[in-house]
Amino acid sequence: MHMHKLEKIWLIFGLAALIVFLSTIGVSAFYLGNKPPSCLTTVDPEKVDQTAPFNKPGLHKVEGKDWDYELVFVAQAFAYTPTQVTVPLGAKVKVIATTKDVVHGLEVAGTNINMMLEPGYVSEYTTTFDKEGEYLIVCNEYCGTGHHLMSSKIEVKK
Amino acid sequence: MAKAQLKNGPKSNPKVQHKEESESLKGTMASVMFLGFFIIVTWLGVYFLFVDRF
Repeated sequence: MHMHKLEKIWLIFGLAALIVFLSTIGVSAFYLGNKPPSCLTTVDPEKVDQTAPFNKPGLHKVEGKDWDYELVFVAQAFAYTPTQVTVPLGAKVKVIATTKDVVHGLEVAGTNINMMLEPGYVSEYTTTFDKEGEYLIVCNEYCGTGHHLMSSKIEVKK
Repeated sequence: MAKAQLKNGPKSNPKVQHKEESESLKGTMASVMFLGFFIIVTWLGVYFLFVDRF
């Protein structure tokens, strides 16, 4: 088969780009262990308030784990519990969240903490809060008439 | 007949035809590379935004 020289160049270029992009995803998933926030951990949506760790929403220090703190959020129409929380700068935190009623979002604006909360499922995201500031938490899944009023706040300070 | 053959002569020459073909792919090469670099630049933009945020 006759193939033009330039044609060979752009095919190699395209294949190389594809390999680089897919390897990045592969390293992220299998070496760094990144996964979707909802990873099939379940909770009875009617007993969220009685089930650990959702019986005590807020920031808790933990020992002997890969992260220093656990930040527990419970979402319901149309509010988050807690409504405000302070996180020490540089803390490695596992954010654990679920919802008591319908699908909600939990997006910490300007960060990678952005997950969907589904009734019956637990969503988690582990990260290091390494930038000071006030971060607004908003619901980014339309959940009803009060959707736009649903917010919370994280303050990161020394 | 002789005139017509003379006119078609250069076109049927394989060397000349090949040269014409390579010239005609330069624009395609340029647009493929333009699109390729655009995709790479936007991909890297999103990647570094993700890495930079916590």
